[in-house]
Amino acid sequence: MTTDCHSDAGESATGGDVAPAAQRRVALIGRPNSGKSSIYNVLTGGHAHVGNFPGITVDVLEASVRLPGEGEATLYDLPGLYSLEAARDPETDEGVARAFIERESALPGFALVQVLDSTQLALGLRLTRELAAARWPLYLVVTQVDALEGDGRRLDAKRLEDELGVAVLGVSARRADCRERVLAMLATREPAAPRADFDPATLALEVCPARGKPGAGFTQRADRTLMHPVLGPLVFLAIMSALFSVVFLVADPASAAMDAALGFVRTRVAARLGQNLVSSFLVDGVLSGAGTVLAFMPQIVLLSIALDLLEASGYLSRGAFLVDRLLRLLGLSGRSFLPLLMGHACAVPAIASTRIVRDPRERLTTILVLPLMTCSARIPTYALLISTFFAARGPVFRAGVFLALYAAGVLAGLLASQALRRTATRGRSLPLVLELPRYRLPEWRVVLGKASRASRRFLRDVGTTIVIASTVLWVLLKVPAPAVLQRADATSAIERSVAATVGHALEPVTRPAGFDWRINVGLIGSFGARELMVGTLGVIFGLEDLDEDDPSPLSAKLREAKKADGTPRYGTANALALLAFFVVACQCVSTVAAIRRETKSLRWPAFVLVYTYAVAYVLAVVVFQVARAFA
Amino acid sequence: MPSSPPSPARTAPARTLDSLANGASARVVEVRLDPADAAWLSAVGIGVGDTLTVLRRALFGGPLHIATESGGEFALGAPLAQGIVIADAP
Repeated sequence: MTTDCHSDAGESATGGDVAPAAQRRVALIGRPNSGKSSIYNVLTGGHAHVGNFPGITVDVLEASVRLPGEGEATLYDLPGLYSLEAARDPETDEGVARAFIERESALPGFALVQVLDSTQLALGLRLTRELAAARWPLYLVVTQVDALEGDGRRLDAKRLEDELGVAVLGVSARRADCRERVLAMLATREPAAPRADFDPATLALEVCPARGKPGAGFTQRADRTLMHPVLGPLVFLAIMSALFSVVFLVADPASAAMDAALGFVRTRVAARLGQNLVSSFLVDGVLSGAGTVLAFMPQIVLLSIALDLLEASGYLSRGAFLVDRLLRLLGLSGRSFLPLLMGHACAVPAIASTRIVRDPRERLTTILVLPLMTCSARIPTYALLISTFFAARGPVFRAGVFLALYAAGVLAGLLASQALRRTATRGRSLPLVLELPRYRLPEWRVVLGKASRASRRFLRDVGTTIVIASTVLWVLLKVPAPAVLQRADATSAIERSVAATVGHALEPVTRPAGFDWRINVGLIGSFGARELMVGTLGVIFGLEDLDEDDPSPLSAKLREAKKADGTPRYGTANALALLAFFVVACQCVSTVAAIRRETKSLRWPAFVLVYTYAVAYVLAVVVFQVARAFA
Repeated sequence: MPSSPPSPARTAPARTLDSLANGASARVVEVRLDPADAAWLSAVGIGVGDTLTVLRRALFGGPLHIATESGGEFALGAPLAQGIVIADAP
């Protein structure tokens, strides 16, 4: 008998007939970091898709596999969990898994495969005991036997099988025969409910004796530095900053390349169709939206890879340990740190990365405050307003205003988080209990498979919304309003547009904040994406081809603009009010689409729009009135 | 008749996990937490009768890094640790 292989395949643990293969539905279950995803990836060849299960907000993967002999089995990959008996909240991974099993186990042909980490067998056997008590039909696949052998230990799979009365297989997902052996077990062995009257620690020692002190290897040595009370947070900050920089530095050229490719397509379409409304619709509406989607893709892929590498290596939990106390001040926990950091570059990938936050209420709170972080799309507008209205001040003062705007974003996030935890997301949070697994090398196949699924999900759920919104905004900015609604003094195409008509209609509401119809049109134009504010204002002021990186012609126009009485149309008070509005308002349809995708509801994106615009408006009014009084 | 003085065992404040020094081990004798939290902790090897070792703690009252006798290592928030009553390890 080999240590990692139970060679009695074909012999049923219970002696019963195996259910017809065509009806088999098998769900993989196990603790986080047990090697479950690796086994699932090996069995399915990475060809899984996210199953569509009503009411489930956590992904359950689904794939069909051909079993030896005849027939197929549908394999499900349930979220990692520690305990089913303690599952109270239906929104947690445990709650989702329990509801799934209870529903599916009522149907014939269902079985569970519990994946256990052989290097931490006692922990896995605690879950086995719970599954046994529930009498669910079960197989056991014990992974990482290669790592076990590396520690000089052996797994007695035959004895474990005899003790529990259920089929047991010891495997390594890195070995070539893993897939064949697991599928052979599913095809030829009958699942069974094991006995539940065993002590996990004692049984683990019997079938897999320990050697030396547990954790005395690389993990403990590395943790002396990485978890050091002082050095640890510094290393964590350095790693997060490096990751943050790499993701966006590498993504930028890739996004630029995609932008150039799409620019080529837009030029060809415009040349073929000529200068007309249809051409403008396709080029500036539909293809512009597609360009926004493609520009995000490199970030989404790279961020997914980076997060999975951190998670699979075992470091992410340690990072959460180190910064947990700091994040508690915001009503969040250490796991929210990375999404909040990412949000300072772009909220869209940051919202996707909140999947690492285990507590559903905390995750929702993080998603809802992420639009307040100062993303890079705000910078062109900040730069325009600061350079226009604070030009007389020194560079240190202007840099101070920039920093103050970043700080204002963090402060707004802190206040919003505190308020949300007392209102919209109030309720009991899961206490911080994080497993700190052994460090290990991530498996690239699993990491790339997850990145591929994240990209497809983004294209399907967020991409379509962005393209639709871009098309609607094109209609508002380019299509003339009915003649009866147009103003008699309108001189340019944009002044005759639907957006300008709406902008004029909004003036009574926005005047207390210092916004006239031109700024209102800019805000309508930048509802799709904040970075469009500068370009839209440029069009309004007759600068069609304004370079976003050099807005000085627009600065001059804004400074020179005069009211009918000859006084400046815009001043410092207008600029401060607009900056305050930009700090808070969620002017990003991509962010709204990402929130809809991650919360699987329309309620929360609507909530974000309402609360950020309401607060932004009130803030802008207060800032404008106070600034004007002091001026 | 004057009442006898209370025994030290009954009056001594309960020692909780957050008071355990780094590197020290202790046995869990009582879990004074929400039943759902207690059930979850018990499922991962942090229940009455289990022996725990504090490996380190984060700064400013942050979480504790503990090891269970099953070989698992966990980050445990300080409020939870304050609800876990301990006695000397056997």
